[in-house]
Amino acid sequence: MATQQVEAGAAGHGAEPRGKRDEDGQATYLIAIAEALWEEMERDDRVFMLGEDIGVYGGAFKVTEGFIERFGPERVMDTPIAEETIVGMSVGAAMEGLRPVAEFQYADFMSSGFDEITTVLSRYHYRAGVPLPVVLRGPSGGGVRASSFHSINPEPWYAYAGGIKIMCPAFPSDAKGLLKSAIRDDNPSLFLEHKWIYRRIKEQVSEDPEFLVPIGSADVKREGSDVSIITYGAMVHKALEAAEALAHRGISAEIVDLRTVYPLDEETILRSIEKTSRALVLYESYRFLGIGTEVAAVIAEKAFEHLDAPVVRLAPPNVPVPFSPPLEDAFLPQIADIEAAVDRLAGW
Amino acid sequence: MATKVEPDAAASGRPLPDDRLKEILYFLKLARYFDERMEALYRQGRLPGAIYSGRGQEGTHVGVAYALEPEDSLFPTHRDLTAQLTKGLDLKRVMAQFWGRIDGYLRGRDGNSHIGDWYGHRTYAVMSHLPIAYPVACGSALAYQRAGSGHIAMAICGDGATSNGRWHEALNTSAVFRLPVVWVVNNNQFAYSTPNAKEFAVPTIAERGAAYGMPGVRVDGTDVLEVYGVAREAVERARRGDGPTLIEAVSLRWRGHAGHDPAKYVPRELLEHYMLSKDPVKNFEQYLKDQRIVTDEDVAEIQARVEREFEEGHEYALASPFPEPGDVIKGWWVEDGYWVGEPGRAGGTEAS
Repeated sequence: MATQQVEAGAAGHGAEPRGKRDEDGQATYLIAIAEALWEEMERDDRVFMLGEDIGVYGGAFKVTEGFIERFGPERVMDTPIAEETIVGMSVGAAMEGLRPVAEFQYADFMSSGFDEITTVLSRYHYRAGVPLPVVLRGPSGGGVRASSFHSINPEPWYAYAGGIKIMCPAFPSDAKGLLKSAIRDDNPSLFLEHKWIYRRIKEQVSEDPEFLVPIGSADVKREGSDVSIITYGAMVHKALEAAEALAHRGISAEIVDLRTVYPLDEETILRSIEKTSRALVLYESYRFLGIGTEVAAVIAEKAFEHLDAPVVRLAPPNVPVPFSPPLEDAFLPQIADIEAAVDRLAGW
Repeated sequence: MATKVEPDAAASGRPLPDDRLKEILYFLKLARYFDERMEALYRQGRLPGAIYSGRGQEGTHVGVAYALEPEDSLFPTHRDLTAQLTKGLDLKRVMAQFWGRIDGYLRGRDGNSHIGDWYGHRTYAVMSHLPIAYPVACGSALAYQRAGSGHIAMAICGDGATSNGRWHEALNTSAVFRLPVVWVVNNNQFAYSTPNAKEFAVPTIAERGAAYGMPGVRVDGTDVLEVYGVAREAVERARRGDGPTLIEAVSLRWRGHAGHDPAKYVPRELLEHYMLSKDPVKNFEQYLKDQRIVTDEDVAEIQARVEREFEEGHEYALASPFPEPGDVIKGWWVEDGYWVGEPGRAGGTEAS
């Protein structure tokens, strides 16, 4: 496959994606994702990317900017606007031994490929024993005034399909390590990048090409003793802010970042509940049958004897993500809502 | 399987040497006998699940699949099991699948003609949401193109599936990238009960090829040699790197959509016309006899072989164990290792 060399960059492992780290070496979530893609493309020439406007244009959010110059149009493949075919073509390529990574401009548009995802990608290995190492990635989530068709959290739709590992990281390091793991995994993956985090959150991120974060493993982002907040994605950052405010009032909140929403890391969730005896399940997918619904059920079923209070859920209502700022703010759980929910739990 | 027109065949004006033509007759007769016997067993309540008869369309199913090399991939449907048999699937394991047994190609995870043998014969395990495999065939063809392997992908669907958006997506995408793929539409004139006129407003499906920038060819799907010739040309075109072809093979579905359907919506006269004058099996047999390629004894021998193989397959299927109920969740993830040890499958290590 045709490739061309570009200058070595600050990332320290040959060339680099056009988006760069800060002078102090910190990487935004977006840059961390671009680095993961770049490193895996460098490491394994079976890996290729396909999607709409990812080549010359560099992607709707510029995640793949600079890739086509390095890896060529065959491995950075601009496709027609045909999401069923983007997914189906990824499946066919994977059956032949390639490792496709398909970008969706917004995770909302994954539903335009719904049947190929839920009928083909999710079920083929169980039925026929052919591994499908396919990664579907795209920006999800609200809070950026993008309204109904550019803000959704589609993870429950695809978690219900089964057979597809689903990651919703909150931090640049987790995003990089999980995406690299997903590309190397022999199962299909859905990698959801929260667009609110893309350029807002940055941190020191490993430059080791073998840096991986295991799929299916939650992480305690803040230790606490009074209440567990089980969450993921952009809500992790709101929970961390809320926890800071709660600490000033003497309430110690532990924050469990799921990182992977399917399969769930039940062990880490239950360990936290055993410690705090109180659970707030905070999530950005819909309240009714969202990811948190399953988390709450797991806690109720497996940690009942440890609970000092009912499990509380905090999540948006099952309506389309609205545009007008006061409406969207009312739709999404806010820091004040989290504090109020924790107060109620702590008061039991 | 035959790959080239051999000199003796070319000299005689025939498209294939005699032994290959006899082999085609064998596949046609196998398809017909299998179809009739399975329907009888289904009606007697001796076969669980469903059946989807391909009777009357064997010329298309055998003709297109016979044009493929073993390394070429085939993305078939539930109605063209015959195409997979022509590709080489073992009748015993096919029948074990019908009876839900562990020795079926999908180990009981799917039934009837929702079958495939990817690692063995490069056939995709059929899914019902037609033309759901069309986009997947694009990916297989893309991989062949990238690797410069010279292999091609072929996908089949029915006339009804051409109304679905994916059909258009896949044809368009395949033409944009000049993918080595052959698109076959088995136009048996009815999508379940819906006739062509209510599925599309153009006179033929083949002419739609022009809209995507690829040749469209319409062929009599009951004439196996005509189908083979058209398919072979499309396959070679794809192999040369000249891109996809759309083939519309016209026949008639003699039976209902599935075993339960009496198909009363098919006009009696139309059905009689096809059954009397456009029987793909009978007509090809007559052609071979007229050409003195087969004798009555040869035909009887082929028929006896078909019947023997069916009985052996039936016995094998009933003797094969059912899957373990406790394995119901295994194979959800590759790392479960459930498929390790199956021919051609090595679980997680296969793809990495």
